[in-house]
Amino acid sequence: MSDFKRQHPVAALSRAFGLIRGNIVTILVFLFVGAQSESFPFLWWTLGGFAFLLVVGFANWWRFLYKVEDGLIHIKSGIFVRKNLYLTKDRIQVIDITAGIIQRIFGLVQLDIQTAGASSRAASIEAITRDRAEAINRLLRRKREDSGEEDIDDAEFEIEDEIKQTISLPNKELLIAASTSGSFGIALSVIGTVFSQVEPLISESQFYDYFYSILPSQTDTMFYIALIAGFIVFAWLLSFFGTLFNYGNFSLEIKEKEIVISRGIFEKKRSTVPFNRIQAIHISEGIIRQPLGYASIHLESAAGYGDDRGTGSILFFPLIKRERILSLLDEVLPDYQKELAALKPPNRSLRRYIFRSTFLVTAVTAGVWWWFDLNILMWIFPILAIIWGWLKYKDTALGWGDDILVLQSRNLSKSTAYIKKKRVQDVSISQSPFQRYRDLCSVQVYVASGDRGKSFSVRDVELEDGLTVLEQIRIEGVNTTIDESLKSETERQIIQLPGWV
Amino acid sequence: MKEPPFHKLTPRAIRVWQWSNSIRSLFFFIFPVVYAIIFGMDGFHQWIVISLAVLVFIAWLLSIFLMPYLSWKNWRYAIDENEIDLKRGVIFKTRTLIPLSRVQHVDTRQGPLLGSYDLASVTISTAATTHEIPALDEILADRVRQQISTYARLAEEDV
Repeated sequence: MSDFKRQHPVAALSRAFGLIRGNIVTILVFLFVGAQSESFPFLWWTLGGFAFLLVVGFANWWRFLYKVEDGLIHIKSGIFVRKNLYLTKDRIQVIDITAGIIQRIFGLVQLDIQTAGASSRAASIEAITRDRAEAINRLLRRKREDSGEEDIDDAEFEIEDEIKQTISLPNKELLIAASTSGSFGIALSVIGTVFSQVEPLISESQFYDYFYSILPSQTDTMFYIALIAGFIVFAWLLSFFGTLFNYGNFSLEIKEKEIVISRGIFEKKRSTVPFNRIQAIHISEGIIRQPLGYASIHLESAAGYGDDRGTGSILFFPLIKRERILSLLDEVLPDYQKELAALKPPNRSLRRYIFRSTFLVTAVTAGVWWWFDLNILMWIFPILAIIWGWLKYKDTALGWGDDILVLQSRNLSKSTAYIKKKRVQDVSISQSPFQRYRDLCSVQVYVASGDRGKSFSVRDVELEDGLTVLEQIRIEGVNTTIDESLKSETERQIIQLPGWV
Repeated sequence: MKEPPFHKLTPRAIRVWQWSNSIRSLFFFIFPVVYAIIFGMDGFHQWIVISLAVLVFIAWLLSIFLMPYLSWKNWRYAIDENEIDLKRGVIFKTRTLIPLSRVQHVDTRQGPLLGSYDLASVTISTAATTHEIPALDEILADRVRQQISTYARLAEEDV
């Protein structure tokens, strides 16, 4: 493979489709808005747009050349401005092979090559036969013969070690994951946007009349309630199938030095995470899933190849029974210390939690109630907010072990983060005047994750505990251990972590 | 636990902040102006505009004559071979600890305003965050940068 090659011609198509799919909402909105004006030759413009995309896609394909030679991949691209991208294999973090719908129709794959760090560069070959992709993979991953230096970037490329264990997601749990998915809200807002564009169209049609005629009571209220219910069901279905397609065929392969997570029914995604790139484990128990006893597990990784572009968050396991988390993590990540005690915030911070989550809601409710003379039922919102504040208080905890920090907090879902002390990028404690008065503080810990890093924080814990965390990170640098104040103190409120058993 | 000695910023930092705040806080005069444009200046509205303007003016004065002094007074930094420790904040006090082994790169930066007072800022980047020691004498800033990068090299570990 020492001469320049073109991609499979399907790349021309897949680029165009990628563009269309990426802007689907805009296009839909545009279609609906445009279809209303009669003077504008809308259809022609749309067709012209597609033709243009195809031409651009074709030109891109024609001008895209790649070559693999001596552990170096060289990609030339760009229609007018020629870009030359060179990636050496020492710097390559991850090689991902994925197959989107279009690629799968033609039996092709997409090859993504990524390097680490804030200025991470990615090379992507969009359509290539599987054999060739594997060949490139082998060429770029082969261990460097003269690696005298212990460069960590090389260490993970002596790969192709065998799979020690494969874990998959049972169908029952996949269904539960799909039906309790949090992408529900997003789906709702997408439908809302589309509907706001479509609404003038259907209100002019017989659709309304039809709707009125089938509703039991033909009042406006009923109509709107039915409409909202319809929305919610539709949004739920969208998120249900979205999650189903995303997490279907989930499997977790555990190898000597890395784990391989693959998922997706139509669009397959495969992420390879070397163990030494894991920065933190992060367990979240959603507000619907928690009562059912389920949680999902994410990993934070240093290179920018997370589930969303730019972040390093990777879904490690979509849905798991709370009792099984510990055994799963023990199997896969035994070097994380997981059974720890953690300190709860003191009683005196409960009022701060409740105040913080309540005051805005109460002010708004009071205002609205007073101005518009609404039903007394409005006051359910402040009451919910109080409960929410209490839940947040109850689920906040800060703990530490020999080499690990645990931060547990709740927003809507309860999240528990396990961070190795030597992975902490920086730690801050901060105090507002009120916290100062009460000897409380907030703790924020940053770990590397993708391009930007990710922070975990707890609020209103004892100042003393915050300072202890600070000291521990300080001491981590000089490799000594401190005595743990955690076990000796009995009068403090201690909860057992993990709280899943 | 032995704490490394904390240093203060150069007192000239106060001057720089006074200048930058005097310009930045001008922005808030936009509130009374916008209010006046929307509601006019008659009767009742006149008083609101005036009191808004007075409030913003007081805030402007405070941001020039009080805040720079207070934030200078509250800023501390300490650097030793293991970590960088930053304390800052007037109302909300924050303390940040950055292990030196996590430091990815250090820059000194100098804009025209800092430059005219022979000051520079030191920017410390880790894989996740960026922190700044805002105003040091430029010679000191260079030395601090040098020191951090030397220590960081000694403490080198992988991400």
